[in-house]
Amino acid sequence: MSSVLAVNNLRHRYGAVEALAGVSLSIQEGEFVALLGPNGAGKTTLVRSIVGLIKPTSGTVTVAGGDPAKAIVRRRLGVVQQDVGFPRTLTVAEVVEGAAARAGGDPATAQRALDEMGLDEVRKRRASDLSGGQQQRLQLAMGLVGDPALLVLDEPTVGLDVSARRAFWLTLAERRRGGTGILLTTHIVEEAAAVADRVVVLDGGRVVAEGTPDELRRLLPGRRISARTRVPVEAIRAVDDVVSASAEADRMVITAIHAEPVVRVLLDLDRDLRDLEVATPSLDEVLSELTTDRERVAA
Amino acid sequence: MTGQMMKLEVRDELLAMRREPATLFFSVLMPVLFFAMFIGLFGPEGATDASIIAPYGTFAVLAVVMLSPGIGLADARDRGWLRVKRVSGIPLSMTLLAKVIAAVPYAVAVLLAITVVAVFVGGMTVDVGTLLRVFVVLVLGAMPFALFSLAVGALAGTTASAAILNAILMPMVILSGLWFPHEIMPEWVVSIGEFMPTYHLAQLAMVQVEGGAWLGHLAVLGLTAVVGATVAALTYRSARP
Repeated sequence: MSSVLAVNNLRHRYGAVEALAGVSLSIQEGEFVALLGPNGAGKTTLVRSIVGLIKPTSGTVTVAGGDPAKAIVRRRLGVVQQDVGFPRTLTVAEVVEGAAARAGGDPATAQRALDEMGLDEVRKRRASDLSGGQQQRLQLAMGLVGDPALLVLDEPTVGLDVSARRAFWLTLAERRRGGTGILLTTHIVEEAAAVADRVVVLDGGRVVAEGTPDELRRLLPGRRISARTRVPVEAIRAVDDVVSASAEADRMVITAIHAEPVVRVLLDLDRDLRDLEVATPSLDEVLSELTTDRERVAA
Repeated sequence: MTGQMMKLEVRDELLAMRREPATLFFSVLMPVLFFAMFIGLFGPEGATDASIIAPYGTFAVLAVVMLSPGIGLADARDRGWLRVKRVSGIPLSMTLLAKVIAAVPYAVAVLLAITVVAVFVGGMTVDVGTLLRVFVVLVLGAMPFALFSLAVGALAGTTASAAILNAILMPMVILSGLWFPHEIMPEWVVSIGEFMPTYHLAQLAMVQVEGGAWLGHLAVLGLTAVVGATVAALTYRSARP
């Protein structure tokens, strides 16, 4: 399996601001990587460096074995960007067929992308007249034509309804099986966790964590336990494994290193215990924990 | 591959102009209507040759070549469409060149239209060779102005670009005597007008009809092209994609 993206020690400055402070990242053929991080983490700068829109201050980016600053290499990329509006004067079919031709792909790939994104019935309409969700699907169709080696998707599901989202993920799954590597940035963390092989967390222009979604969840120790109970909070706080406990509305919410001893105590003390829930930390919580320190400093 | 991409870029630009009624109206129809009005009001002033169309034709060609590429570029930037093109592997130079090339058929169309008006309303006699030379001079001579247009479009938004380009074009047109002849203008207007590259473009077109010295006019247009290319290169480098 060969690499479709290799980012090595990438740095980029905007005047005095260091947007990227030495980022390294790689994606293999058929691998799906989600790039997460708070606003200002450097995601957009990283994506723009990868797709050749900006020249980094130092470091290297290699896409499908070449430099994305070169137009011929950029044709191996499929890209969905944020904040793109279509010209008032081109139809849906003209936009996608043009994208296919520019990518050097078979014209049949344009029809395939239109079908995959459910746009064939609006192919003769002006692209700018489509609804927001349809325009997002049109961008996705443009990204898919030409069978790219790497798909870079910047918030691609914004504005999509449930069925369009499902169709999109199914299409991506099929493209992955064909060897396309995928880099996704999104704010919908659990969606990323559901589809990505690997998650990279960026903060302050640095990679602060990297791993499978499960590996990242394990970075935040403990379990979240909640239940409706009459047991006093103080009694729970006295249990060895408990990190914190609080009463919230009519429920007690407990964070513990291990769940089992705490659950045993709860059941011993309260035979009427109801609605007991034990959960591992969500990726959202992990992300929040990993990036909170910098936000505190910034504040 | 490069040829096919260029063809696509030009096709998109031609479609953009053809399907945008406002562009057609302001770039083609309005200059022709104004010309018909001027010639109807003031007549051809004794002339029956292509000198009837040379000054006004200069304005008509510049209205297309100087407004459309810059405003189109600003619109593509505002929409994020320029980013899409750059990411898809289209060199920026190709996108810009396509905008200029696409303006050429419209410039020729507007020249043909005012020629028809000049023949039927102004009584102009047609000398195909002379007309052809005037057309070639005006269309090629307008190219340096397209560079300024693109420079403005690379820096300003769509609305601002339209305003700025009109604010540059209209005073140059009036000072150069393209709407009203220098003979009826105050001396100071004529003095300033002779510094305008637009004046020299019109004079170079007149030389094709009436003969006379042409090197000086060509030198001014050459200098305009050099300055335009420099400004454009500096602007594109600093413009956001």
